[in-house]
Amino acid sequence: MNYDFSDKEFNLFVEIHTLMGTFAKENDLETKDAEKSEKNTRRALALLSRTPYLTLGIEKADNYNGLLTLMGGMETIAAASPSLFLSIETSTRIFGRILSAWGSASQKEKLLPALLNGQIIGAVGLSEDAMNVDNDPLMTTAVMDGDSAIISGHKQYVVNGPVADWLAVAGRLDGKNAIFLVEKGTQGLSIGGKAATLGYEGVAISNLMFENCAIASSQVIFPENDKTMLTTLKLWENQILIGASLGLMKRAFESAKVYAKKHKTGGKPIIAYQEVGFKLAQMLTLFQASQLFAYKVAWAADAEPKDIESLTLCAKVFCTEAAEQVAGDAMKILGGSGFLSGNPVEEAFRCAKYGQIAGTSTEISRVKIGDSALGLMK
Amino acid sequence: MDFAFTKEQLMFKKEIIRFAKKEIVPRIQEHDLKKQFDFESFKKLGEFGILGLHFPEEYGGSGADVITTVMAGEALGEAGVDGGLTLAYGAHTFLCADTIFSHGTEAQRKKYIPKLASGEWIGCMGLTEPNAGSDVASMTTTAEKKDGKYVLNGSKIFITNGPIADVAVIYAKTDPSQKHTGISAFIVEKGTPGFASGPNLIKMGVSTSQTSELFLNNCEIPAENMLGREGEGFNMSLQTVEWDRSALLAPFVGASTYMLNRCVEYASSREQFGRKIGQFQAIKQKIANIRIFGEAARNLVYRIAWCKNQGRPMNHLEAAVAKLFVGDWSLAPANDAVVLFGGYGYCHEYDMERIFRDSRLAPIGGGTSDIQKMIISKLM
Repeated sequence: MNYDFSDKEFNLFVEIHTLMGTFAKENDLETKDAEKSEKNTRRALALLSRTPYLTLGIEKADNYNGLLTLMGGMETIAAASPSLFLSIETSTRIFGRILSAWGSASQKEKLLPALLNGQIIGAVGLSEDAMNVDNDPLMTTAVMDGDSAIISGHKQYVVNGPVADWLAVAGRLDGKNAIFLVEKGTQGLSIGGKAATLGYEGVAISNLMFENCAIASSQVIFPENDKTMLTTLKLWENQILIGASLGLMKRAFESAKVYAKKHKTGGKPIIAYQEVGFKLAQMLTLFQASQLFAYKVAWAADAEPKDIESLTLCAKVFCTEAAEQVAGDAMKILGGSGFLSGNPVEEAFRCAKYGQIAGTSTEISRVKIGDSALGLMK
Repeated sequence: MDFAFTKEQLMFKKEIIRFAKKEIVPRIQEHDLKKQFDFESFKKLGEFGILGLHFPEEYGGSGADVITTVMAGEALGEAGVDGGLTLAYGAHTFLCADTIFSHGTEAQRKKYIPKLASGEWIGCMGLTEPNAGSDVASMTTTAEKKDGKYVLNGSKIFITNGPIADVAVIYAKTDPSQKHTGISAFIVEKGTPGFASGPNLIKMGVSTSQTSELFLNNCEIPAENMLGREGEGFNMSLQTVEWDRSALLAPFVGASTYMLNRCVEYASSREQFGRKIGQFQAIKQKIANIRIFGEAARNLVYRIAWCKNQGRPMNHLEAAVAKLFVGDWSLAPANDAVVLFGGYGYCHEYDMERIFRDSRLAPIGGGTSDIQKMIISKLM
């Protein structure tokens, strides 16, 4: 047992914090402009490629602790910019892990180095209208035509959709689950405009349409385990959303704490009033409980993966709900200034809801956690 | 970072659960209803080695590390042992015996620790007073030195094991003009003239633990019964906080696992509307909430244990966070468990109402949730 990060891990977090913190100060990372979002993501990926961060969870990195180190790093980046974080992680940790875990040698050779060097952006098309608790079969399908797979279907809420160079699209082929690697500009692929969203405004999210979209058969991936493909993709997404929640809480809590120490009323800083000080205490308690929960599930994913799906869902529910609570309380501490658009707390509050909806929603998560305990997990 | 327990720790946990289910759990309901202490179970805890787990073997202990010791508390809760017995164990082993072991002379250790580790003697700790709860420094119990003895006067309240204890660690002011630095600690044995306990206080939960006032009326004790030196008492009481935030919280974590397992059993067997109630999403949500709380709480409690095991000075903020979380966030899942069992949840036979009552102590005992918030807000 050990509850400390190593010095090497800590130094990495400091390096990332410095890089991304500076970058966040110099740029508008919550921009609604898709072109600017793309530019921000590409520049951030290039900056991060100077560190080992992008390789975590993808390639073995000496003296780092796999997903556990990654979780610490995710917290740091999400605190600097929630939008940049979501864009980077979708590209690196979901698109990247699809390649590293399931891709062929030639697919890896073609895309992974460019991805980890920050030269390309990836997106993942997973969500469909009919997706539900039972993971019904995907409606996006492909049929083989000679050496080509012809894709038809529709994907929604695709993070990085408008800015990605490559898209990994989940669908069905020959009665099995498959991932289709589709390059931007491929005929038959239509990408919707950037959606207007409550939070994560700096992320380009869109729909994708596939109408007889032909890709080479070499761009098709059949995961090792057909039955667990969707579950695994959701697991990776949930891990990212847990990391995002830590960053949102860190951002909101720190802002509220600084404000409560500086802002005075009745001749003393408002933190001296129990209404404020006790609220901060509850926020910190939720934040620390979330941190340890997140680190624990990240550690368990590598070290004790037997029960990882339901344990990750537990952490996902806890951390994403805690993030909304902490951000909401932080807004109250900031008073009127917390309600003004563009401050870190208000941004965190708007982003927090996404974590409960995206990935496995908190409602479906609780059903699945219950199923797991009851031995009903499918 | 590494969250793994050792194989030995996990095996030991299983052994404790097996032992407790067989030797202790069958008598809980009877004692809880009668609000009686289960001396037989306490004795068995001693025989199994739990009461003195972390003390060196030469004092009748097993020399266990802090993590294993905390795990024993979790195991008792997981087995279904009631909060009354685990509280009695906590007050006995950590608040009384460990204070004697940590601050006592070799003679004091040899005299008391083996008897306390075996369960032959029961220990308690007297700190809280009717008008000095969270504000310890305002205590009015005094210890005046006279003719090579100390004469204690005052009263204590809410003392776990008070009516049944053979030995008590009593905090009193040797210098009433001082606040914290005027407090000293003493060992007072049952039967000492001028030392008496009140009747068992009827409580909402943890009913098998016996709680009372302690009265000190010109109670003379030998000077060698002082622990450490004059004025060191407050720091001694603070040191017990590390155990309070780990070993005494661990049974609540274990109890959440017990609730989870019982709810799963019930939801898997109870049928309504033609199917097992576990198939309804509302039931699954309650089960999920119980598990989520337990998983979150466990990490906070073992963080305190691990730091103590490393020999680090206690991080008061982290300790308060653990206490606040277990205290305030344990209530909703306990409520969920009662409701999941429906009418049976409200009846004694099904344990959930007892756990619901027992869990109400978590935000009160050992420093209320408000006190934890005060500590956290001052330290941040």
